[in-house]
Amino acid sequence: MTTPILEIKDLHVKVEEEDKEILKGVNLTLPAGEVHAIMGRNGSGKSTLSYVLAGKDGYEVTQGEILFNGKDLLEMEADERAAAGLFLAFQYPIEIPGVATMTFLKAALNAQRKSRGEEELKIPEFMKMVKEASAKLEIKQDMLKRPLNVGFSGGEKKRAEILQMALMQPSLCVLDETDSGLDIDALKIVSEGVNHLRAANRSMLVITHYQRLLNYIVPDRVHVFSDGRIVESGDRELALELESKGYSSFDGHAA
Amino acid sequence: MNQQIIKLSGAEEQLKALLLAQGKDEAATQFAANGLPTRRIEAYHYTDLKTLLRDVPSALAQANDGNKAARSEFAGTARVEIVNGELAGDFDLEGVSVATSANAASGDDSVVLISEALVGDTVEIKVSGELDQVLHIDRIIDGDAAINADKVTVEVADGCKVTLLETFNGSDAAHLGLATTEISLGEGAQVVHLQLDGNSNETRHFANNRYSLAADSLLRTFVQHTETPLSRTVVTADFNGGGAHADFAGLNLLAGKQHADITLNVNHLVPNTTSTEMFKNVVHDGAKAVFQGKIVVAKDAQKTDAQMMSQGLILSERGEVLVKPELEIFADDVICAHGATCGELDENSLFYLMSRGIPRKEAKAMLIRAFLAEMFEPIEVEAVVKQLEARVDSWLDDREEA
Repeated sequence: MTTPILEIKDLHVKVEEEDKEILKGVNLTLPAGEVHAIMGRNGSGKSTLSYVLAGKDGYEVTQGEILFNGKDLLEMEADERAAAGLFLAFQYPIEIPGVATMTFLKAALNAQRKSRGEEELKIPEFMKMVKEASAKLEIKQDMLKRPLNVGFSGGEKKRAEILQMALMQPSLCVLDETDSGLDIDALKIVSEGVNHLRAANRSMLVITHYQRLLNYIVPDRVHVFSDGRIVESGDRELALELESKGYSSFDGHAA
Repeated sequence: MNQQIIKLSGAEEQLKALLLAQGKDEAATQFAANGLPTRRIEAYHYTDLKTLLRDVPSALAQANDGNKAARSEFAGTARVEIVNGELAGDFDLEGVSVATSANAASGDDSVVLISEALVGDTVEIKVSGELDQVLHIDRIIDGDAAINADKVTVEVADGCKVTLLETFNGSDAAHLGLATTEISLGEGAQVVHLQLDGNSNETRHFANNRYSLAADSLLRTFVQHTETPLSRTVVTADFNGGGAHADFAGLNLLAGKQHADITLNVNHLVPNTTSTEMFKNVVHDGAKAVFQGKIVVAKDAQKTDAQMMSQGLILSERGEVLVKPELEIFADDVICAHGATCGELDENSLFYLMSRGIPRKEAKAMLIRAFLAEMFEPIEVEAVVKQLEARVDSWLDDREEA
């Protein structure tokens, strides 16, 4: 059996300088080429899981481990994780005035290449890559001329995230509520962008409230997340069952 | 009048002796009565010179060939060089005249008082045309550690236009620089005045920039402190004619134990004048940045519009940014606003950049450059923007701890 892309073992996490535990023993194995969905209500710890995977400061892992392609993920800084092939599509992409989108894309791609010992991209090569990838996501060129995410609509921000994902070619994509704030048309474009990236050597973790997104990005496995852990796992049918019965039938809490 | 005899510090005694040696008895008496400004004087509350200026060089900078000093070179500019207060070399440019005359000005503020008293000749520049070429005035302190007082006046005639780039440079010694610049804008004149400090990292630098604006004139200014351990630039502008507009900007980019102070006094004295003020402070280590911005709107100055903003970025636990915005409004039909922000680099922005593979140090540098970008953007002289960006880059490179 080949090494899974991601293995989370008994992961316990609390917010630094607070006593409250948010993740209470998460176990998850994500084999190469598979798409897994994590569904759960607000405050169940889904976003915390995505931040801990990506390496955000402010969380303390008190127990357990995360292996990314067999390596200890928690030992790496956020930028090292990205260079190693992990990509988090943010629920709320950050606006950064004063940093041009193209400058940022080039800096990010080259930083990743540098850390992998690869040569920097030549400018024409970079421009061609961005142009092709943005055309697929129906991203207009003038959007790329603006400062990073500044003045982008909700849909534009999400498309820009998927553009970054397409350019960076990660082996693990974590999509945190990528469907939030999207209308149906934008949802289709974004989902197509994501589906286009499905590959045998790439896995995805799709975090969402609603089963709606899973009509477009069809998962191999669905995990129900509640109170800091996975309480139920199943195939795609589980998402439909969850949609009809609600979360309370899985976690026993009132809706 | 305070008749109390104060005890002078060693530095103050030395300054007094120097004034006497120059035959400036009256100034020496006036200086001895007050000494260097302390925190008890409001304008110096955050920059107590009695404490900060404990030793001063004993002699005035003497005329020399200026060979030891570094220069700032900007391709394509017309260059006026002032070495140790004296005009060096010939200057020939259509629409510009350069002359010198004895200085007789004085002042109440102790720094202004000694600055004016120790100036030998004033360099007088008159602009009577529309200059395409940037006029670069390089003010240099050369030789061993010395006190240097120099003064430049620029008179821009009605309807004339000039971009003045002033640089401060010097030999590698603990100088005390006292620079005075007075710029008067005639009716409809357009002036850009950029002042870059490139002095040695031992020089203490004091600048007084004064502007007077006639009707319909247009002024854009920028001052910057990055190099010297102690610096203070006082920018004073008087709006004397309606329809005039000015944009004032400035930057303190500090680390180590540096202390830099930009103090701004904008006086809207007549109706229908407008101004914007944008000042940024970035501090690392135990550095201290001060910005005091005062906008006065006189009783008659109706329809004044003044918008002041100051933003601080504190990159270390011990760094300090001290900001004092003030509005004094005596007219009733005006739009005036001031805002001040101060904080650390945004954690979420930093995480976002790092999550895309950009290492922490580089991500921080990107955010610091982004913070400064809006301030450099209006500076139309590309060579100046390049130099400022290079200075920011080398400043970032020098920060060991990312």
